[in-house]
Amino acid sequence: MPTPEQTLKYPGATMAAGDSFRRAVSRDRFFQGLLWACGLCGFLLPVAIIAYLLSGGIHSLSRTFIFDYPRGTPLGARGGIWPAIQGSFALAALGLGLSLPLALGGGIYLAEYGRGRAFATVVRFLVECLAAVPMIIYGLFGYAFLVVFLKFGVSLLAGGIVLAFIMFPIILISVQESLLAVDDAYRDMALSLGVTRFYLFRKVLLPQAWRGMVAGVVLAVGHAVGSAAPILFTASIYFSKGGLDLREPVMTLPTHLYNLVSEAISFDQAFGTALVLILGLLLFNTSALLLRRIGGVNSP
Amino acid sequence: MNPSSPRIGRIRYLSDAVVRGCCLLALCLGISFLLLMIGFMWRESSLGIGFGINLYHFLVKEPWAPLATPPSYGIAHAVISTLLVAGLSLVLAVPLGFGIGLFTAEIAPLPVQQIMQPALEVLAGIPSVVYGFFGYVTLVKSFEGWFDMPTGECLLIAGIILAVMILPFIASTAAETFRSIPGELKDAAFSLGVTHLYASRRIFWRAALPGLFAAVALGMARALGETLAVLMLAGNSVAVPHSLFDRGQPLTALLATELGETAVYSVKYQALFASGFFLLVIVLGINILIWIMKQKVMQHAHA
Repeated sequence: MPTPEQTLKYPGATMAAGDSFRRAVSRDRFFQGLLWACGLCGFLLPVAIIAYLLSGGIHSLSRTFIFDYPRGTPLGARGGIWPAIQGSFALAALGLGLSLPLALGGGIYLAEYGRGRAFATVVRFLVECLAAVPMIIYGLFGYAFLVVFLKFGVSLLAGGIVLAFIMFPIILISVQESLLAVDDAYRDMALSLGVTRFYLFRKVLLPQAWRGMVAGVVLAVGHAVGSAAPILFTASIYFSKGGLDLREPVMTLPTHLYNLVSEAISFDQAFGTALVLILGLLLFNTSALLLRRIGGVNSP
Repeated sequence: MNPSSPRIGRIRYLSDAVVRGCCLLALCLGISFLLLMIGFMWRESSLGIGFGINLYHFLVKEPWAPLATPPSYGIAHAVISTLLVAGLSLVLAVPLGFGIGLFTAEIAPLPVQQIMQPALEVLAGIPSVVYGFFGYVTLVKSFEGWFDMPTGECLLIAGIILAVMILPFIASTAAETFRSIPGELKDAAFSLGVTHLYASRRIFWRAALPGLFAAVALGMARALGETLAVLMLAGNSVAVPHSLFDRGQPLTALLATELGETAVYSVKYQALFASGFFLLVIVLGINILIWIMKQKVMQHAHA
């Protein structure tokens, strides 16, 4: 007979008392245990990876490592990664500067002006396609179109434009989604008072949706900065002493890490670079998540 | 002046029209990227006209030997490597991802649910090159010791790391799907006294099918297009791989390795862009499938 506790947990199961009941329960226990194991796995994987990188890289971090340029033979075996940090920041800023106006305008159009039209559906689908294009294809396209065809050369400019391509769909989708999350009642009320769509956007929608938008922007930038494939052939160079010029290539954190590992230059330096990259992104992404979570509660 | 005077009204209307026009312009400009990209990849590959290689030779028959005389360009080894690595990563990540999805959506207590999502987002936020590095210093080094391999890189390692990389995408899509199963269905099932196992196996699974399919497709699209990790872990060998312990060179790795040392508009350049074009078309095709499945899930949720 099932105990009262079991009856409580599986209401209605008392009639099926006996062996089959017990078997079903023990099987279910096993199944739930399996699911808990899956969950534990999903939780431990990121923790383990971060912990591993921390333990391997923490001793390479120092002021010289952050603020010096690569030195030693082979080049990069000693010294620091400052030019790479600088280059990654410059690429991110350039990409964001180019993509933000387009993505913002596009997102606003899809959410506010073109809502519900077939045109908006088709465009949204195309944007999602753009977001799904593999990174290396962006690199290939950027190389053929910007570096070769438009003769930009391997440069900060070309890389920035490629990163802008990558950020555009992600930012657009988050702008559209945050606007759509605002209750329609606000729109109806405002519009019935005779204000324009733009006024509605500035005074009613933006105060409620900006957190979600900013979170999307942060995630997009983090995504673009961490990827090496698109800038390997459009913007990155093996070594530089720092200094930025639109027409010149730059060092970046992900490509520097790739070079350190693939040429087997220095694993200590590689650990340090990976740690800087990952801690920077983690900090960045966490702020986005917090912003989004706070954004869930709207103050008037 | 009276704020509702016709002049001000007209200016407002006009400025709104200007904003609207600017937004539309921005959107069209942004969208034209995609069309430009597809068109330009097609142009650079010269697949339409003047492709220097017999398509059958390119895809199936010839080896990749750009330095041989005469040079031959075939991507069969890369296609096989890509399929092996992506297939392995799906085999590993799909069951685990579905498990995590079901766990977060159905049986995890609320605090645990709130930990799971950020954990998956951290996993998704780690860049490809860091995964490559991580795999290199952990698995590659260990494999050299365990299996007595001269160099540890092989398709197996690339597949394992790739599985970790696509896991968060599969898991969160699956969780979303399981959450969108109508509440009445769950209530009806549990009020009949069935176990979680029975409900998952016989009821939820069916209701979630389109969404789960989308999750797998999303993972596959990611796995096919992932570059840096497989570049660093698969071994970059142009020989056709015969087992998972062989070294190989997935398509993306081929592109990343060869592009830098290719003369522009040469036959090799065409071959690389043709491979890129195929990859792009396949990924976009998968994306269309995902879109269709998502529409189905949404209909389900609304019905």
